[in-house]
Amino acid sequence: MKQTLGYLALPLLMAAALTTQARADGETIAVFTKNQTNPFFQTVRVGADNMAKTLNAKTLQYIPTKPDSIPEQLSQIEDVVVKKPSAIVFTPVDYKAMVPGVEKINEAKIPVVNITDRSAGGKFLSFVGADDYSLGLETARFLLKTLGGKGNIVIIEGVKGSLTNVDRVRGFNDALKENAGAKLLASQPGNYQRLQALQVMENLMQSNAQIDGVLAANDAMAVGAIEALDGANRKAQVIGINGTKEAIDAIKSGKLLASGDYNGFFQGCLGTMMAIRSLRNQPVIAEIVLKPTVITKDNYQPFDVPLEQRSCPTFEEASKLGGK
Amino acid sequence: MTDISKDAIAPPRSFLSQDAIQVFYRLLAALLICAVLAVLSDSFLSLGNILNVLRQASLTFFIASGLTLVVLTAGLDLSVGANVALSACIAGTVIHKTGSPALGIFTGLACGGIVGLLNGVMVTALRIPSFIATYGMLWVLNGLTYWYMAGETLHGFPAGFRQIGSGYLFGLPIPVYLLLVFLGIGTLFAQRTIWGQEIYAIGANPVAARLSGIPVARRLLLVYAVSGTMAGLASIIFLSRLNSAEADIGESLTLPAIAAVLIGGTSLFGGVGTVFGTFIGALILTLVLNGMNLLSVSANWQPLVTGIIVILAVWLDMKTRRRAQ
Repeated sequence: MKQTLGYLALPLLMAAALTTQARADGETIAVFTKNQTNPFFQTVRVGADNMAKTLNAKTLQYIPTKPDSIPEQLSQIEDVVVKKPSAIVFTPVDYKAMVPGVEKINEAKIPVVNITDRSAGGKFLSFVGADDYSLGLETARFLLKTLGGKGNIVIIEGVKGSLTNVDRVRGFNDALKENAGAKLLASQPGNYQRLQALQVMENLMQSNAQIDGVLAANDAMAVGAIEALDGANRKAQVIGINGTKEAIDAIKSGKLLASGDYNGFFQGCLGTMMAIRSLRNQPVIAEIVLKPTVITKDNYQPFDVPLEQRSCPTFEEASKLGGK
Repeated sequence: MTDISKDAIAPPRSFLSQDAIQVFYRLLAALLICAVLAVLSDSFLSLGNILNVLRQASLTFFIASGLTLVVLTAGLDLSVGANVALSACIAGTVIHKTGSPALGIFTGLACGGIVGLLNGVMVTALRIPSFIATYGMLWVLNGLTYWYMAGETLHGFPAGFRQIGSGYLFGLPIPVYLLLVFLGIGTLFAQRTIWGQEIYAIGANPVAARLSGIPVARRLLLVYAVSGTMAGLASIIFLSRLNSAEADIGESLTLPAIAAVLIGGTSLFGGVGTVFGTFIGALILTLVLNGMNLLSVSANWQPLVTGIIVILAVWLDMKTRRRAQ
């Protein structure tokens, strides 16, 4: 009973502490990302660090050693709950499977912001992310516009059943439906892997004499498809997603038509900003869904800047970025 | 070397042994798959597609060929994929920094070989079961590679270097020549040299092998070093074919390599199997994916079909082996 009272008193004490020193610096923000291998999450982490530095807070990075490992992220959450950081910025490795983990964070009363992949459950003080569906839709629309609304198209899918893949491919398909002249030849899995995408493309070129456009669910697969096309001396317009440095280089050299980007850097910045603002009793934006940018040879310059030299938006700018 | 003659160590392995029968069944299975695909898809039997399949099978084969020797000694090397990733990232950096493909190739092979040797030391000197030792090594290598690459990608290599993985010579892809060369070397080494015979003997019965004077530890070191070096070679082919390296390539390479060895009829219990069988195993895996791409089989069904093929192949293997005995 005494213990229960203690638990009840704790948040009250914490709230009191927070109101008295509402502007105190030095909070520790635990940032959870999905893996160390996808360049996208590297930009998220640099964004989070950048924001924390600006606001005089610290970050602790939690990354599963085995990419996207559900049990590993779960045990990292258990560790963090014991360690009690001021707040958490959280990307679930799996939007459904990590719900029990989020509930543990909620039970421990640690404020948590959800970024990138929207969790299927749990309580968050804010969501910052982008919409994979519109990312797929807009990039595919750009490809079809370039092709004059017609042509033979193939889709190279990511990991089947993953949230990102389901939404991106749905966006691709809806863009194809808008163009009666476009014909979908095949929709085959490359599992977000460069080598698999290259081999799938090689195989598809054997059975299809004319391929005009390739919609790849990430940049690594897009570049793999380009290698396959080059190897066979064939040409097609290719798009990817993620806006990686490699993709920007390929856009500059004219090999890649475009890459859809949803600004991992801003996601890291804004997730961390909302966490710190809530700790300092400042208003937060409950939901920011960043609009996708289709990076092409006409607008790649702002993305061709080293991550360290980019700067986070201010709160006023953030509220204009698709906040609700 | 001991003065014990070759015959005393192990029965001489002619190519018309039980292994040959197993290889024959596998060839038959591969041909059956080919026949089915040829009926279902017009483009399957084109020369372009056949070269395509061979080139795609070569990467899996390079990794799996060295692995075959390890499995022949009743061991397993789970670190091969992670080894390919680290070797590719290091070789790629060397080429970027020095501009010398030759130096990069040497570094990639050396890195792969050293990792293999370390596996061998853990298995022989420290007596850690190979499954555990190489599983630990997998994590060490992943950790090193992730730390080293920090989420970045290496890309863009000299055109000359790109020829190794993507070039053609007299109409054949260069990896296919390398495949034939290493298939030849691997088969000759395993079937026709004393060292090869000793490796079979170690796998069949390590105690008997030691008692008959085979330097078991040294042969095991050799086997793991070869497996690592072949992973190093695969890393070079990967770099030159994909024109890039990233930290997470390993995971998608290990299991297909192990599957190729098993589909190829090499027993996990050691002492039975051939490098040629492994080649057929790599070919079957590639054919199945190639066929599904050509036929536009839905993405949902591809892992399922691949899984069934692996299970079927091993089951058929057990069945035919029992009949042969």
